[in-house]
Amino acid sequence: MTEQEIIDKTNKVFEESFEIEKERLVPSAHIFTDLGLDSLDVVDLVVALQNSFGVKIRNEEKVRDIRTLQDIYQFISSVKNEEDKKSI
Amino acid sequence: MTVLERVKLYLLNLHFYIFFILLSGTVIPTLTLFVIILRPISSRRGTMKRFRRAINWYGKIIMAIPFPFIRVRYEDEGKDDRDKPYIFVCNHRSASDAFLIGVLPNELVQIVNVWPFRIPVLGLYAKFSGYLNIKRMPPEQFRQKAMQLLDDGVSIVFFPEGTRSTTGQIGAFHGAAFRLALESRVPVVPICISGSENIPPKGSSLLRAGTIRFRRLPAIVWNEYKDLTAFAFKNRVRIIIEHELRIMENKA
Repeated sequence: MTEQEIIDKTNKVFEESFEIEKERLVPSAHIFTDLGLDSLDVVDLVVALQNSFGVKIRNEEKVRDIRTLQDIYQFISSVKNEEDKKSI
Repeated sequence: MTVLERVKLYLLNLHFYIFFILLSGTVIPTLTLFVIILRPISSRRGTMKRFRRAINWYGKIIMAIPFPFIRVRYEDEGKDDRDKPYIFVCNHRSASDAFLIGVLPNELVQIVNVWPFRIPVLGLYAKFSGYLNIKRMPPEQFRQKAMQLLDDGVSIVFFPEGTRSTTGQIGAFHGAAFRLALESRVPVVPICISGSENIPPKGSSLLRAGTIRFRRLPAIVWNEYKDLTAFAFKNRVRIIIEHELRIMENKA
């Protein structure tokens, strides 16, 4: 999966599950202060990302460190890479 | 403000606070006595129901004191079943909003901040009535208690902005009410309160004359929101309330 595909798919989760307008989905957007999520919304976000990317997200510490959309793109990319390595 | 207007303002408040103290001093003990007398012949559930209804009546009586200088108009567009539980979601502009809730015919518990529990006497009643302090409660404990109340048929009132708005603009919503709705499947009722912003204004105890409109919108039922996340749901309800307030205030 390319970097652009990860960005598009992640943004789609925000558009469809959180009904956030496309224009607000810039990599530097802070998910709490700019997009208005709270800590419990992150639980819904993780579920939606899992369903969208077909991955299991377990690393709670890394999830807690997520602040911006760019952090999410990088996080999904690392989860995907780990899963790809396991499947080889 | 002219001298005459200032005199009128002070007279209105003198009238309100004298009767507020007198009525609180008589209504609260009377309603308490009524509940205590009936306690031996009714279940704990029945007692709580009566106690919460008594609090509604107290709110109604307090809001009737400054009539006709302050009028409350209850507009029910929902006509929902008063014996079923609902999650009421209200905009918040004034300390009087908590008393205004008494116009609802349902058995209610309010979700409050820390300060209402600190009000002498009323804070104790809020605690005994089962009001939940969302700031002091871990999310899981809050969820359990709120679910129990809904299971018992008690409606829950949220002010999801978390604080009173001073600008007239509706603030961002917190998600607790909507997460609870998604889990409990209880209908959510948006409530629009207009005109309370100066009764009294935030940071003051002086009530201004005016009309408060309390509009209960039709309930949003489980089938209408089941596919939404709590985040999307809270923003939709926020838009509904904001739109309705614009209509009520002729800004649409």
